[in-house]
Amino acid sequence: MATKNVLDTVAKKFIQIGLPKDLFERNKFNLLVDRNKIIVRYPAPGVRSEVVETPTGVKTKVYVEPGTKLEEPVTLCFGAAETTEVQTTEGEIVVGEGADVKFQVYGAMAEGIKLKHKNKLKVRVEKNARFEFLDLHYNGEDTFVELDTETDAYIGENAYFRSVFKQTRGRAGKVRIVLKAQVDKKGVAVFETKMIGKKDDEIYVEDVIHLNGEESRGISKSRIIAVDETKATFVGETYGNAPRCRGHIDCSEVIRGKDVTVKAVPVVVVNDETAKVTHEAAIGSIDKKQLETLMARGLTEDEAVDVIVQGMLR
Amino acid sequence: MTPILTVNDVKLTIDGRPILKGVNLIVNEGEIHAVLGPNGAGKSTLAGLIMGINDLKEPDSGEIIFQDKLVNGLDITERAKLGITLAWQEPARFEGITVEEYLKLSGRNNPELDVVECLELVGLDCSYLNRFVDDTLSGGERKRVELASVLAMRPKLAVLDEPDSGIDFASMEDIANMIKTMRERGTTVLMITHREEIAEIADKATLMCDGKVVQTGDPKEVGQKFKTMCVKCEVRNPELVGGE
Repeated sequence: MATKNVLDTVAKKFIQIGLPKDLFERNKFNLLVDRNKIIVRYPAPGVRSEVVETPTGVKTKVYVEPGTKLEEPVTLCFGAAETTEVQTTEGEIVVGEGADVKFQVYGAMAEGIKLKHKNKLKVRVEKNARFEFLDLHYNGEDTFVELDTETDAYIGENAYFRSVFKQTRGRAGKVRIVLKAQVDKKGVAVFETKMIGKKDDEIYVEDVIHLNGEESRGISKSRIIAVDETKATFVGETYGNAPRCRGHIDCSEVIRGKDVTVKAVPVVVVNDETAKVTHEAAIGSIDKKQLETLMARGLTEDEAVDVIVQGMLR
Repeated sequence: MTPILTVNDVKLTIDGRPILKGVNLIVNEGEIHAVLGPNGAGKSTLAGLIMGINDLKEPDSGEIIFQDKLVNGLDITERAKLGITLAWQEPARFEGITVEEYLKLSGRNNPELDVVECLELVGLDCSYLNRFVDDTLSGGERKRVELASVLAMRPKLAVLDEPDSGIDFASMEDIANMIKTMRERGTTVLMITHREEIAEIADKATLMCDGKVVQTGDPKEVGQKFKTMCVKCEVRNPELVGGE
């Protein structure tokens, strides 16, 4: 475990890029990792975990005991306060039957650093459990991260899993996000991605949801704001494989800049006559009426764009 | 009477079609002025031209003068900063913006802003503050929030485009009272409508048809003319209005 000086240095750098100060002041972290060093580790009630430092990152195993219900989120941070060639994180999370927990995970890449971050995560949400995984990324404006993250999730009978990937500050960098879910009977999977790309950022997001159980549900939602020369692709695949399952893909991407390229690829496949999967996709500039409404209240065009974009990324 | 808004011989053609054919209108400071007319009369286009929306920064000819300042060519923000605002007939929806945030943005230059009071004046309670200004609001609720945002802004001139549309009949009195309150608080109201009963709360009314002003005067008289002249006018007939 690191000394207070190390924690203070990390805190300063992460707060600089927008991490809430409160997290450090009130010791909110259950786990804080800088590159491959565990800086803070503090148990949460009903949550067992193993965390191992590796040459390039950490491996974690988390088991949420059945029936555990936590009012406060389990707070984790995987970041880099200094440049390092590569950071790898591997994790397994099992949420036991009937548990109800929320993980708030901060990805913090300090101002000016460059690195490749690889992440693999396996999630298993057992019967009747509810699990929210909020993956909040903070990068500096001069940070460049190549992020490659894959999540494989199994959602058990009548279980609920919501995964939110959000990067609304700093540069996105070169990003590949793949989220996959197998959803059992009456289970629900909700994937949301909210990102802003600037300069020559490259964003690739792929959501794949297999609705395998009767009356299972899946929602895949993306909001990408592409600015300058950003290239962004969203692929949403939902497979309706079981009776009365329902899926929906909703992508709405905003372009700001003449050299932006944005692609949305919704794929809907239905293998059961009572299943239903729908999609809606919209790519375009900021809605003119929204813009004019805010301008008619006295906001400048730039202020209005900012309000609209921040709302979409909320 | 001091004119706050003067529309002087305004002509506008869109896609080769004349929409406004020399509109003249004077709105005096502190009054509620209704603009009545059937669909397609050019009322909403006039409202848009006053606010400068839909790329309608200036007419083909004529002048729009607000408090002695020519606003032709000014952008929307510049007009708003002069004290003009518009409430849309079908207001925009905003993802991720709460009613409270929307009202605070609208009223950010109003030192006496009270968002709860603004909501109450349009018949909504404070439970709406945390609602999002998105598709989860019904058409009527969104409309009320739009009017509340005008109250929050407290402009010198509020152009209300069909403030009564999407509002159920039983709630019309709320809307009428809200418009009167707006005026009591120093806002001149230019209200676009095609319902003569809501126009009756105005101090003055103007009847438009086929891109022209037909009559300006007492709201009851103008409303009566609208009722008798326009209701059966399924096809705009210049002879009926004494026009071309």
